Amino acid sequence: METTATNTVIMVRDLKKKFRIYADQGRSLKEKLLFKKRRSYEERWVLGGVSFEIRKGEAVALVGRNGCGKSTLLKLLSRIYYPDGGSVKLEGRVSSLIELGAGFHPDMTGRENIITNAAIFGLTRKEIESRMDEIIEFSELEPFIDTPVRTYSSGMYMRLAFSVAIHVGADILLIDEILAVGDAAFQAKCFERLMEIKASGTTIVIVSHSMAQLERICDRTIWIDSGNIRMDDAPSVVHPLYLDYMGQQRHGSPKPLPKATVPMEEPVQEKTVRWTDICLLNDKGERIDKFCTGDTVTLQLTYEANPVPDEAVLIGLALYRADRALCYGTNTQREHIQNIRLKEKGTMTCTFSPMNLIAGSYWFDVALRRPDMFAYDYRSKAVQFTVYNTIDETGIARLAHTWQIPTDTE
Amino acid sequence: MRLIRELYRYREMIASLVRKDLKGRYKGSVLGFLWTFLNPLLQLLVYTLVFSVIMKSGIPQYYLHLFVALVPWIYFSSALTTGSHLILDQKNLIKKVFFPREVLPVAYTTSGFFNMLFSMVIVFAVIAVTGYGVNWAALPCLIPVMLIQYVLVLGVNLLTSALTVYARDLEHIMGVLSMAWMYLSPVVYGISFVPEQWKTLYLLNPMSPLILAYRDILYYKAIPDWGMLLQAFLISLAIAVLGFWVFACLQRRFAEEL
Repeated sequence: METTATNTVIMVRDLKKKFRIYADQGRSLKEKLLFKKRRSYEERWVLGGVSFEIRKGEAVALVGRNGCGKSTLLKLLSRIYYPDGGSVKLEGRVSSLIELGAGFHPDMTGRENIITNAAIFGLTRKEIESRMDEIIEFSELEPFIDTPVRTYSSGMYMRLAFSVAIHVGADILLIDEILAVGDAAFQAKCFERLMEIKASGTTIVIVSHSMAQLERICDRTIWIDSGNIRMDDAPSVVHPLYLDYMGQQRHGSPKPLPKATVPMEEPVQEKTVRWTDICLLNDKGERIDKFCTGDTVTLQLTYEANPVPDEAVLIGLALYRADRALCYGTNTQREHIQNIRLKEKGTMTCTFSPMNLIAGSYWFDVALRRPDMFAYDYRSKAVQFTVYNTIDETGIARLAHTWQIPTDTE
Repeated sequence: MRLIRELYRYREMIASLVRKDLKGRYKGSVLGFLWTFLNPLLQLLVYTLVFSVIMKSGIPQYYLHLFVALVPWIYFSSALTTGSHLILDQKNLIKKVFFPREVLPVAYTTSGFFNMLFSMVIVFAVIAVTGYGVNWAALPCLIPVMLIQYVLVLGVNLLTSALTVYARDLEHIMGVLSMAWMYLSPVVYGISFVPEQWKTLYLLNPMSPLILAYRDILYYKAIPDWGMLLQAFLISLAIAVLGFWVFACLQRRFAEEL
């Protein structure tokens, strides 16, 4: 067991952590002494024996549902919590960026706060002075650095805080959900800086809900589920499974959705032209009934025609949410797509790239009509599906947008 | 040993906390830093009024007799009262950032020490203005006395700040405890008021020999009793070791309890 490669910098062995959940927490001495009942607490294991090793220079993502124990794990790594079992060993200087701007004082200037904040990370005066210029430059706050931070906008505040954090110069960097800092340009800069840090051989462990970010930085993802490691593999392997799991979790298991094949139970009778299969495909061409907001989704329509109609046809779509709100409707005629001729059998697709519906349950009505709007085959709820979302938006769909928030004081 | 190394590495954090505390303590109040001086002066006024006008104690230059004891006492009692919720006050930091937790009591004790030094300036000002005079030979003895007190205050502060996290109303008990402790120390009265048969027990309170030493040096202009100081030092050291040990045990679950 102890023969670990020399370049292992984080070694976690059977790590356990429990929390005390007080039924009715008596904080005062009187209560602690007098009411035995109030002293009683339940013990809940948050981590039930986790083991892994991280090598020098690796960037590892910790993912998992809220409350799965990933933040606890990060806090154990950063020595904020003490383990109740097992061991954590870290080699080298550790810096945890769990809280940005720790110890910032609003009345002190940016420069003074850099010193305080860096000191909390364990830098010495000398180290701070030698990094000061770099920190200020990175924060892009030169003109304001000698004014009190209470005059800063929240964006400026975070920029300053992140600049300090990123210049701590640790061997191991533990990061919790802090990459959403400032405007897009600054975020990109932070990202680049993180990549540089990684390239310089710093080991990074990062907790985030932004899969896209994680995929760019990390070489490995550890998926924590109910206090145990569920998967530990390359992000490209773990993330799709994780997202899928999250999607299912978030909506429970909704009422039985149509299987991959659409229920084609509608009377076939004398329909001369009819849909034989309607389904949704993901960008790999796999049938799906759940996807994430922003995914590329293709609606695939297969028909049969006997006899083949002489005139051109049109295809109509209507997208409804589970509460029957019409989200979107269109047809080929309105979009000036002329002269659609059917064959005996065929497949057409309509790709939504991206499909920006936000989390919820939806269905498509699909119609195949004559130009005079006579419906050869109108399928209500032809395909039902659920959407999950990584951002907690409200409404129906995500409208493409870009924020531009001036981050300077007026 | 590891702790000392870590505290040394975090020396800039200690320094910055001390600076912040000294600068920020009275920020926003009109008189600002002056409160460092005004607070003991006002207390001095009250006690002097009570014990040399109302309840005449018969001690000559009572104000000075009291003042040289009151300044170190205020330093000590701060470890009991405001110092006890030190950890609670830094909740956010402790829950989110790692640093050796001992940094907080060390910084607090150190900034209190500087505050005492500033107050000492007033003591000397009073001595100079009234022409009371000093014994230059005894004056350097203040240094070991102050250092012993530093060790004691640190030990007490480690204990109170750590225990208060687990039993929140210690904070309130501390007010009463501090008052009782003051009257059990020779702050407002001299050692001659203590009955002979109680003296040994009385001097086990490490603050008693310390205050007596301050008073010997500044009021009686004499060299303090080294035997008594050694005893105070050993007791203070024991309290500090106990403080570090208790703190080390209790701090493991600070982040969860807060």
